[in-house]
Order: sequence, then structure tokens, then C-alpha cells
Amino acid sequence: MARNLLGIRQLSTDEIGELIKTAAEYKARIEANKPVPEIKNKVIGMLFFENSTRTRMSFEQAAHYLKLKTANFVASGSSMSKGETLKDTVLTLRYERLSGLVMRHRQSGAPTLAARFFGGPVLNAGDGRHEHPTQALGDGLTIIERKGQIEGLKVAIVGDVEHSRVARSDAWLLSKCGAEVRLVGPRTLIPQNTSLLPGTVFHELSAGLADVDVIICLRLQRERMEEGSLSSLNEYAKLYQVNRETLRYAKPDVLIMHPGPINRGIEVDDTAADGESSAITAQVENGIFVRMAALHWVFAGEHQA
Amino acid sequence: MITLLKNGRILDPAQNLDVIGSVLIEDDQIVEYGEDLEVEEVDETYDCTDYWICPGLVDPHVHLREPGDEHKETIATGTQAAAAGGYTTICCMPNTRPPLDNPALIDFILDRAASPESGGVFVAPVGALTLGLGGERLSDLAALKKAGIVAVSDEGSPMQNAQMMTQAMEFCVQLDLPIMAHCEDTTLTEGGSMNEGATSAMLGLKGIARTAEEIAVMRNCLLSLNTGCRVHIMRVSTWGAVEIIRLMKSLGAPVTCEICPLHFTFTDEAIGEFDSYYKVQPPLRTQVDIDLLLQALNDGTIDCIASDHSPHASHEVEVPFEEAPFGSVMLETMVAITLSRLTHTGILSPLQTVDKLSTTPARILRLDAGTLRPGETPVAQIVVIDPNLRWTFDRGKTFSKSKNTPLHGMELKGKPLLTFCGSEIYRDAMFPATRYTGPEHP
Repeated sequence: MARNLLGIRQLSTDEIGELIKTAAEYKARIEANKPVPEIKNKVIGMLFFENSTRTRMSFEQAAHYLKLKTANFVASGSSMSKGETLKDTVLTLRYERLSGLVMRHRQSGAPTLAARFFGGPVLNAGDGRHEHPTQALGDGLTIIERKGQIEGLKVAIVGDVEHSRVARSDAWLLSKCGAEVRLVGPRTLIPQNTSLLPGTVFHELSAGLADVDVIICLRLQRERMEEGSLSSLNEYAKLYQVNRETLRYAKPDVLIMHPGPINRGIEVDDTAADGESSAITAQVENGIFVRMAALHWVFAGEHQA
Repeated sequence: MITLLKNGRILDPAQNLDVIGSVLIEDDQIVEYGEDLEVEEVDETYDCTDYWICPGLVDPHVHLREPGDEHKETIATGTQAAAAGGYTTICCMPNTRPPLDNPALIDFILDRAASPESGGVFVAPVGALTLGLGGERLSDLAALKKAGIVAVSDEGSPMQNAQMMTQAMEFCVQLDLPIMAHCEDTTLTEGGSMNEGATSAMLGLKGIARTAEEIAVMRNCLLSLNTGCRVHIMRVSTWGAVEIIRLMKSLGAPVTCEICPLHFTFTDEAIGEFDSYYKVQPPLRTQVDIDLLLQALNDGTIDCIASDHSPHASHEVEVPFEEAPFGSVMLETMVAITLSRLTHTGILSPLQTVDKLSTTPARILRLDAGTLRPGETPVAQIVVIDPNLRWTFDRGKTFSKSKNTPLHGMELKGKPLLTFCGSEIYRDAMFPATRYTGPEHP
């Protein structure tokens, strides 16, 4: 059995700790211009069925540092646009002798299906509303760098939790590592039944942010207004924007995070996004190191088997 | 040709009959049955000791896929699967390609069903309520009835317009046709692929709200009460839907309903890590629903058990969960799953079990089936079941052309071993050869 990284939900606290610790070591080595362990004689397929610039580039950078070769699969114009099923595509890539797959897909569970047929490691680079595990690992590393540890922190995840894979992965990671997780947002954007998700639900921003150490803002998509989940961006911003005013509810040294891309003036204002409390750029950078750790981890698992 | 089914437990719910005895078949008719049958000369004998002898099963809800989707199932393979499942009469749904919205297609179905390569069971077609199942113009219902349909339905694309549904019901009252209603308010279900609840929230899949089913059940029951149209609610899945049906029956609405076994067998948690073999319509619900569905089966609010046999090719099912089609092949596991979950657990008595699988569906759709009483069915329709046979279901060994089922590998208790529809149409490999004496069958 190949070792996959399909979600944070299936990882143990020890595995999460190991991945973040390895990422921190790689980061230190790279910043000191020291060599990092390489992954030689392997080629990883990059399957992005949904647009992504940030995550894709971050994986490319991670592979570059590891001397791991990448092969790009272009979904548009490929056999899939000619009607090939995902299963057949994945089977083909298996016999193209790719060593592993990094996969982004707009459907929840698509990487799980791919892993069933590929036979080698599959890393989920974001699937539908389900999970985005490497984003959460990067967020975990960022929080540890700035706060020393995750255990005992109060973390608010604010915004469109219902449609967010980042929210789910972050909630799993933070709760498994001992943080108190809060899911904050309007009733229309938080699942009705969260009993199988970690975290406590808050619909009032002031209560949700009270005394928190970390705020993770989620991107708000404009489609939500067409579905009737929101009246207007303006009203949303008035009720849920993380800004100079609403930050007062949180602890004075609160850390502000956002997976990007940011809608400035909607979910966050400039004060929150650009101030000293913001860790948004650190999240992007740390994404590379956790993806290096994740690539090593899945291939190491393969050797153990 | 004189055939004796000897020494079995005769269960005929139509006459509330539950005795140990024998059944005598002469040519293609049941001529006699009972405890102390005096028989002089027989050509063949089946020893049915410890088995049940029941009226052939009746399935109100089967997808045969022909015409149009012969890669999933054909009338031949579907009827063979039905015979192996203990059925002698099945109703086929109109959502074929093209849909069953004109008499020529009904003729086609009946011709195919009667052909020698088919399984030998009766096929009772259900006509499309609207042309092309488009929900806009009614089909020529009188012509369809003349051609042989037993009910009408818009199946998976239910009519959303309440005014049109009222008119459809008025027509059906006049023609004395029941409407088989898939109950779904589609404004609440767009993009949904599983029950809306804790599991859908965890997996990040868009949910199908229980209210979508319940609102439509309520509407259809109210329209039935108002027009007097017989409405058969297909595949109930929520406790709320059952409570609404209970209330509307008590008010005198001529409504009946069915349940499919997967809905009393699994909860939405069975989907696990996006297993699309558990994707059914309506979706698998919760344990609270199962508990109350079982109660409603026991107290009779749920009238009958239907297979909703829905074949799909494996390449259509092994896709990301949200893209996968709804449904599961069921015909060849109906007896086993029903006995395992309902009869051996005491929810239903043996007589109630046969009633819900045979007598009541025949009564709801006014089919000449569902009883052993001589002369009440066109030919002898009998299934012999070993209620205690333990076996493991292997989807690789089925007659159905499709293998999409979550029951693969499941250990079950109970199996149909012989099916007669005029003559023997199915003999299971697990029926012991020593129990048969007579000429070899071809």
C-alpha cells in the first residue's frame, strides 16, 4: 500500500508533528544554504484539474529544492477533455511510470478515487470542499513559528466554512494538535450539522473572536450572493470583516492568517492584512517547506512498505 | 405434467394462510394446495421441507434500461435477474431512452419480455406521465393504458409544478391509473449527492435535505386527498416522510408507499471515504430514520418493499462521488437482505414479509399476482425460499448485466431457490439435487 496524503482527518497527531518538524528543519537548512535530502530517480505528476497558481507553484518549488522531477498534466486539451474517465487517466499515468501524483480537483473525494487506482502515493492539493492538507500543514508551521506551539491556543476560522476545504483541513489539524477551534460565520455559510467536524460554531463575530490567539480568514466567493447565502458584500463586510475595529475582540498579540487570494475590503481590511499581526506572507513561504516534507513523507512510506 | 412441491411452509398473505403442506401444479396452473394433499401420480416432486412456498414476488419498481442503455441492462438480463431473485412480476420504470411515453414503446417492452431469451417473468410497464419525462405536456395516458401500462410516473424527474400535477391526477382518476411518485422538491436538491448532515459536512459534499423529500411527499399526498387519485410514494427514506404518509392515510388519502432495502440497511456514514456504490436516490439517511422506518414497516404504514433495481456500468460508478449516478442493482439480493434485516430480526413475521414483497404490491398496482389461490393469476406463480440458508453475495455471479451494489461480499441469511411462472423458470445452484425427482430439465 502506498502512503497517501489525502486529508488531515486521517493523520495522527504524531504524523502531523513529524511533518511540521521536518518542514521546519528543511526551512532552516535552506535558509542556511545547506543541502536538503533529495528525492532522486522519481517523477511526480502534477494534475491540476482546477485552476491553481499558488499551490501549483509551491509544489513546483518544493520539488525543485528536492531535485524531484515533475511532469505536468494539462487537463484542458488532454484525453480527459475527450471523455476519458479519471480512473483511466490515473491508470495511464501509473503505466507512464510516474512515481506519485499531486492532484487538485473541483470534486470532493477525487484524489481518494485516484489513490484507489494509481498504486503509488497521491497528494491532495485541494479537492472540492473537502480538504487541502498541505495548506493546513503550512498554517500549522506558521502558527508554531509565531506562537511557539499550537496546543492551548484559541483559533477562530472566520467566513465561508461551508464551502472551504482550507477550513476543514485547518480545523482538523489545529484540533488534533490541541487548539480550541472556533468556526465563525453566518448561518448560511456554516454547515447545519457540524457534529463530525472539529470546532465550536459562533455566528457572532464579536463572540467568535473573543480572546483568540489566531484568526484564519477565509476567502468569500461572489457566487454566494447568487445562491442567496448572502445579501451583499457590503453587509457581509459589516458583520464579519476582520479589521482594526473587530480585532479589538481578540488578544492584543493575535496572529492573522489568510489562505489567499485575498478580497481586500471584504473579509479583511488593509490593517489586518498588512499589519504586524499578519502572517499571510509567511504562510505562502512555509507552504513550500511543508510540501517538501509531505513529498518526502509519502515516498518514505512507500519504502517502508 | 403434474408437479408437486412437497412438505413446505405455505405462506399466502392473500388468504392469511401459513401452514405446512404441499402445492400441486398441473401443466401451468396451481390446482390444489394444503396440509393433507392426496396425490396419486406426479411427474416430478420438489421436496420443500424447511422451505417456504410463497406466491411469486412482485416488484413495483425496476429499471430495465432497455431501450437506450443496453450496456447497463436489457429486458432479457433484467428479467433473468428477477427470476433468480424470486420474482414473477416486475414493473419497469419509464425513464429509458427514449422514455416510455407512447404505445409503440409499451408494445416493444411487452414483446421483448415475452421473448424466449427473457427470464420468463411478467413485465408490467409503467408509462411516462409526461412526454419525454419533460414535466411539461402529459403523455397520451389513455392510449398508454390501452397498450398495457399499470401506472404512470415521471420517476427521477418529478413534476415540480403543482397545478400540472393536479391536472395529471384528475386525468389519472378518470383513467383509474395510479401515479408512482418520486418525491423530491428539486429546488432544494440541486448539486446534492448525499444526505445533508454531519457526514456530508465532513466530506465536503453538497447535501440533499430531508425537507426536499418531505415537502414533495406532503404536496403529493394533499393533491391525492383532494383529487382522489391513487398515489404510490416511491422509496421513502425519512422518518418525516413516513409520519406525513401516516397522517394522510388517516385522513383518507388513497396513498401507498414503498421502501428500498438499502434505506433500512445503511446510514449515510456507510459512504465512508467517498464510496459511490452507496450513492442512492433518495440518499441513505441516519440511524434515527432507520429506527422509525423499521417501526413503520412493522405497523404497516410502509406498505411494501421495492427493489429500485438501478443498473449502472462500473465505469459510470467508479468516478468522483458527485459525478456518479444514483442507484444499485438489487433484484438478486432482495429476499436475502429483507429476511436478514427484517424477518430474522423480528420486525416482520414470515407472512408479513411475503405480503410486502408480493401480495401488497400486486394489490396496489392491481396485478393478477401475489397469491397462490387457483385461478387468480394467469399461470402458477410461486417462489420457494430457504429462509435459513447462509450465503455470501458475490456480484460476479449474477444475471444482471451491471455489478453496482454495496452488498458485494455481505453474508446474508435466506435465498430463493426455485421460481415458477407457469413452469420452473429458475433453479438455484444451492437447491440440493437430492430434493428433486422427475425428468431432467433442459
